[in-house]
Amino acid sequence: MNELVVVGLSHHTAPLALREQLAVSGVALRETLDRWATAPCSEAVILSTCNRVELYASSADVGQALARARELLEERLGRADRPRLDEALYMRSGEDAVRHVFRVASSLDSMVVGEPQILGQLKEAYDSANQAGTVGTLLGRCMTRAFAVAKRVRSETAIAEGTVSISSIASALARKIFGELSGRHVVLIGAGEMGEAAAKSLANTGAVLRVVNRSAKKAEAVALACGGEVRGYEQLASELVKADVVITSTASERYILDEAMMRDVLRARRHRPLFLIDIAVPRDIDPRVGSMQNVFLYDVDDLQQVAEANLAQRRHAADDAERIVSIEVSEFEAWRRSLDLTPTIVGLRDRFTTVVAAEVARTSGRLGVSAKDQQALDKMTAAIVNKLLHAPLSALKRQDGEGSALISATRRLFDLDQAETEEEEALPTGELVKVREP
Amino acid sequence: MPVSPVAALFVLTGLGYATASALYLARLARGSQGAGRHAARALVASVVLHLVYLAVDRLSGAIPPMRDIHQTLTVLSLGVVVAFLVASARKPTLEILGAFLAPVTLLFFLGSGLGRSVAEVSPGVRTLLLPIHVGVCVLGIVAFALAFAAAVAYVLQERLLRRKQLGGLFERLPPLDVLDALSFRSVSVGFPLLTLGIVTGAFWTLRIHPDAPPLTATHAFALVAWVLFAGVLTLRVAAGWRGRRAAFGTILGFLSASAVLVGYVIRGAGGAL
Repeated sequence: MNELVVVGLSHHTAPLALREQLAVSGVALRETLDRWATAPCSEAVILSTCNRVELYASSADVGQALARARELLEERLGRADRPRLDEALYMRSGEDAVRHVFRVASSLDSMVVGEPQILGQLKEAYDSANQAGTVGTLLGRCMTRAFAVAKRVRSETAIAEGTVSISSIASALARKIFGELSGRHVVLIGAGEMGEAAAKSLANTGAVLRVVNRSAKKAEAVALACGGEVRGYEQLASELVKADVVITSTASERYILDEAMMRDVLRARRHRPLFLIDIAVPRDIDPRVGSMQNVFLYDVDDLQQVAEANLAQRRHAADDAERIVSIEVSEFEAWRRSLDLTPTIVGLRDRFTTVVAAEVARTSGRLGVSAKDQQALDKMTAAIVNKLLHAPLSALKRQDGEGSALISATRRLFDLDQAETEEEEALPTGELVKVREP
Repeated sequence: MPVSPVAALFVLTGLGYATASALYLARLARGSQGAGRHAARALVASVVLHLVYLAVDRLSGAIPPMRDIHQTLTVLSLGVVVAFLVASARKPTLEILGAFLAPVTLLFFLGSGLGRSVAEVSPGVRTLLLPIHVGVCVLGIVAFALAFAAAVAYVLQERLLRRKQLGGLFERLPPLDVLDALSFRSVSVGFPLLTLGIVTGAFWTLRIHPDAPPLTATHAFALVAWVLFAGVLTLRVAAGWRGRRAAFGTILGFLSASAVLVGYVIRGAGGAL
């Protein structure tokens, strides 16, 4: 009977130094997939992102599968780092594994709860495994259900609401001041990474971007990346007069925009509102500028606070998301049990029929029964089997809370696994066992 | 004591506006989408009740609309709510302004009830100038009411943005620029109407009461409102004035214009102005 298995490490348990050694992609991913999909595992998916490396599988022998995964991961580490693997690794199986996959897909396990990228990454991992032919019924169903759960969580909870990245908060605020941003003037001063990200997010809304930097070369690179135009540093004042949003992210030790300069600029602007975003540390804009009429000044701490508040709101929504995940996990488990149930019912019936038929055949051979009597005896054996099996099969089909335990108890009591192994040995190996979905 | 259908309809309409006001305020304060939908329904239902009330009032022998302060205020409250419904249908982000406009409507409507006892203007003052004077004043105040709501929302929103309190209230209020533009446009429409109203009013007063005192408190409020709006408009056009100061000017202008109405309710239209 196959179980789902998850082995991996993430930003919760492992530092970047460890994660980056284990990340796999391209040819290496395909190779690892092929190795991971062999016995004791019969299905395999590998998820490798900058925040997590996780091996998913379905396997009849959970213990061995876990050991195998550990082996595969350990190979990729330097000798010195190997002892650190045990602390970083987490292993889940059965229902816990399903819950883990659902939570990862729904972005409940992400560093930024509710971020949308993880779902795409998981879909890519699933596609790669599909191309490699390492996905079968159980893991395949688990993955597709995970995508559906993620979609449900996003639409039914507030988990993805409120922006949490500095750049998107900047453009959300700009929209709250100016309404439509298309055609608005955005000036980026300096070429810091965060400033560039914020400028890019504003330029994407249709705003006109001008990049001002002391180094023209750097300014050109940024302008090219964000779809803006370069302006010389000497044009700064006139650009400020035209601007609606100004983002500063220079490495300057002193204020680039001070009170005296801004007073002149504001006079020339005729009171048009100005949104200043100071992402630089140390700051580029004198904080006193923020108290001037029609000027709204936000520094990196202000933006960070907004991000924190939105994150807190998302964490709150995560409770609702966990409830959805729990419901979906039990639905998945019910389906999985039905998967176990069919072979159990078939096996049980076979076993009873074989035993009763063999005994009847032996006795009737000795007694010399006529063909007509033989027919009556066959009918009787079928009736005995049906009556004997009626109560246990009904109990199994009811699938209440103890469903899974009942199935494995039945299989052990009647030695069904032994019988199946004998049969399977006669079949060609390596083939995925296809089971009909209900 | 049996209640007349007119009085019953008045109370029902008032309750409707009060319910809509409470729901719009709940929508603003708590962000409940449901409250917003119910508020709009309550407001539309109140408008229907209001129309029925006006029709029944007219059939039961009341004077034609706008011939006394009671009639003027009831038409004014209806005008404000209709203007708001049209504006929010055209621009759904303005729906939240109902939190300011529904209470304004309610106050005007209740004021019209207070003015009930006031006598109709005497036939002597019932010239052609009267409906023109009252009509342009009502339209002007409707425009100022929209400007007022936008200005109040602007002041709130600007304060939240400046204090960096970017919670739910901030999320629900429309963008600053949208509010500023609405306020500017409404004042631009209202100001010429107010000017015409004051001119016709002054002309009419001088014709009917040549010996009336030169400036009563009511007149003074009308002039203050005119000066405030003229200032806001001039500074906006000439000096690019906008934002918080323009919003405060607009709020004060609307309050002064409303004070004129309060003056009429207290003194009675057509009486000693």
